[in-house]
Amino acid sequence: MAKRITIDPITRIEGHLRIDVEVDNNAVSNAWASCTMWRGIEKILRGRDPRDAWLFTQRFCGVCTTVHAMASVRSVEDALKLEIPLNAQYIRNLILIAHALHDHIVHFYQLSALDWVDVLQIPKADPAAASKLAETLSPWGRNSRNELKAAQDRVNAVASSGQLGIFANGYWGHPAMRLSPEVNLLAFSHYIQALEYQRKALQVVGILGSKTPHIQNLTVGGVANAIDLDSPSALGMSQLAMIGTLLEQVVQFVQQVYFVDVCAVAAMYPEWFKIGSGVRNYLAVPDLPLDSQGSAYDLPGGYIRNGDLAGVKGFKTASDPIFRQSVTEDVMHAYYQGDKALHPWAGETEPAFTGWDGEQKYSWVKAPRFNGEPMQVGPLAQVLIGYAQGHPLTRKYTDLAIEKIAAIGGVRATPAALHSTLGRHAARAIRACMLAELAQKHLQLLTENISKGDYTVHNQPVMPTHEVEGVGTHEAPRGTLSHWIVIKDEKIKNYQAVVPSTWNASPRDRSGAHGPYEASLLHTPLARPEEPLEVLRTVHSFDPCMACACHAFDPSGRKIGVAKIL
Amino acid sequence: MKRVLIAGIGNVLLGDDGVGPYVVRMLESLYDFGDNVVVADIGTPALDLTHQIVGLHSLILVDSVASDDPAGTLVLFRKEDILRETPAQRLDPHSLALSECLMTADMLGASPQNVLLVGIAGKCYEPGHPLSAAVLGSVELAISAILLELRRLGYTFQKKLSLDEPSIWWNDHHNSSPIETQGQQ
Repeated sequence: MAKRITIDPITRIEGHLRIDVEVDNNAVSNAWASCTMWRGIEKILRGRDPRDAWLFTQRFCGVCTTVHAMASVRSVEDALKLEIPLNAQYIRNLILIAHALHDHIVHFYQLSALDWVDVLQIPKADPAAASKLAETLSPWGRNSRNELKAAQDRVNAVASSGQLGIFANGYWGHPAMRLSPEVNLLAFSHYIQALEYQRKALQVVGILGSKTPHIQNLTVGGVANAIDLDSPSALGMSQLAMIGTLLEQVVQFVQQVYFVDVCAVAAMYPEWFKIGSGVRNYLAVPDLPLDSQGSAYDLPGGYIRNGDLAGVKGFKTASDPIFRQSVTEDVMHAYYQGDKALHPWAGETEPAFTGWDGEQKYSWVKAPRFNGEPMQVGPLAQVLIGYAQGHPLTRKYTDLAIEKIAAIGGVRATPAALHSTLGRHAARAIRACMLAELAQKHLQLLTENISKGDYTVHNQPVMPTHEVEGVGTHEAPRGTLSHWIVIKDEKIKNYQAVVPSTWNASPRDRSGAHGPYEASLLHTPLARPEEPLEVLRTVHSFDPCMACACHAFDPSGRKIGVAKIL
Repeated sequence: MKRVLIAGIGNVLLGDDGVGPYVVRMLESLYDFGDNVVVADIGTPALDLTHQIVGLHSLILVDSVASDDPAGTLVLFRKEDILRETPAQRLDPHSLALSECLMTADMLGASPQNVLLVGIAGKCYEPGHPLSAAVLGSVELAISAILLELRRLGYTFQKKLSLDEPSIWWNDHHNSSPIETQGQQ
């Protein structure tokens, strides 16, 4: 008899991801992904001025602030057919890249590394041996014995206090943990260093956006940055130099530490290249526009069906007609009225909560579909779509990752092995390396363009009186984000955001097809079903971000997440 | 320079959850502070809160709290109250992480010595709703609590001679009415 495990780390008010899995013979036999809170924030936007929408959408989520701001202005610009000056494109691109680098670093170290790294093994490590090992892996200058000893001391201090504090909830000593004490120490030392480098990436966002976490410099038609080469308070040579210095340090960390650590984890847990595949349809939109019309991009987009890389189809633009026409959201199994699958421009968000029922409705997340099919989005989708189209930068770092993993572990992964839990981590590190290189490129493009005497940052929008529709897309850290807007009489008539975690955390649709999280969990072996570390590994590999927008501090301690066996 | 951050936390789009940002924006419009006092609406920063608090001498947070007390009740917490919370096993890694961020700052040896969380019991967290009357009625009290803490810590402030218009931009319901919802759990 299969038993069901619910993983539900939920507070009263926070809307969270909940995972239910049925376990039979120590493997997952069925899975449901659900979100426990209704959002529907889009409704707030109806009737407002489209030019103000980004201020509101930036508040959808506390983590993905800039991405919702960017998709929003792009949706209005698409509806108005407005071109964006080059400076504005480069400034936006730099903000998006810096945000994404920050996000990818946080994801690996702070949010998922401890699924693979056993903190309680660290006191047993020999820092000198760990430092020697590190030398063979990377030229990074901060792997000295002293630096590693200091990291070990921090763990010892926490462990000897008798309370594990920040590490209280890990599955330490779990049989699926397999790194040596030295590798655990090395990774943990980078966990601490990661805090520094993610902050540097945020500083870049802050300089260009004038504030974090909520940037202030966007406007429909461009950006509001004042460019003045000689003024220290405007965007000029001194600010550009400061951004250059910060980026250089972040780039080094990404290429010499993050990328290497992911390759090392992959080399030491090679069986995870065979686990966690799931939905092999992939979707990504082109991003980082290189001209004012948005006809050339530094990141390619497109889609792949059934894992067939050779059959990849590319998108020409960020609002490609195929993309515009092919997206629907299905509410057959979501807590909304009716059972329709509607295009976002005609989208409805009328809640109808009926309680969790795995056969009927069980999630507040709608089921987005592309030509009726579930799609996986995120760095893996982007890397596979780029690789399949022969995109040079994607090929460069994917091939480098395959070489590195082989050099460390003697296992030669193929691009096909990327359809997996580890593939998602590897792809995110590959994408981070690509973005690191592109950060420097776009800073140079911006500097050159300003040096030519072009200070234009904004084209004035003209609101039509007739009804217009637009879609603004962004290939965000978690994948394809699209904001869909209908404008009538200079006001917002309808607004729908189809976010990456909606694609990935989608419930079943009318045909019963699982969403990507659900499908990826099927057949996962569990060493100890009462400690479902393996489920966490796969779910974390997607980098879920559900309703991070809503929270309240809960002082009663009711929030502790537990795995309940029903 | 011993810095203090007064941070409003919460989602301004979700009813009473926006009280933290509301309070700090009112505070900013009413008082002038010295250079070592930073007042900021930081939204819902999750783990990035760590970057805001590392190296601070003192931290004052204003946030809505889930409480059985009537809406508008002020509930104060100190650092040790917050640290008593065990970090949750995160599936969705992006919820507020107050205790986690303080523990991380502690681990780095850079945690603020004084922490005060001014909690305000909320009532309605639905998208598009303005602050409920009881919560709005407690804003002044919350500001007093912040000022008392600043005074206790030795920071100076002055009432502005001419008041600035507070920038509560999200509360401007000029074109849309609060959303009526149903089925919310």
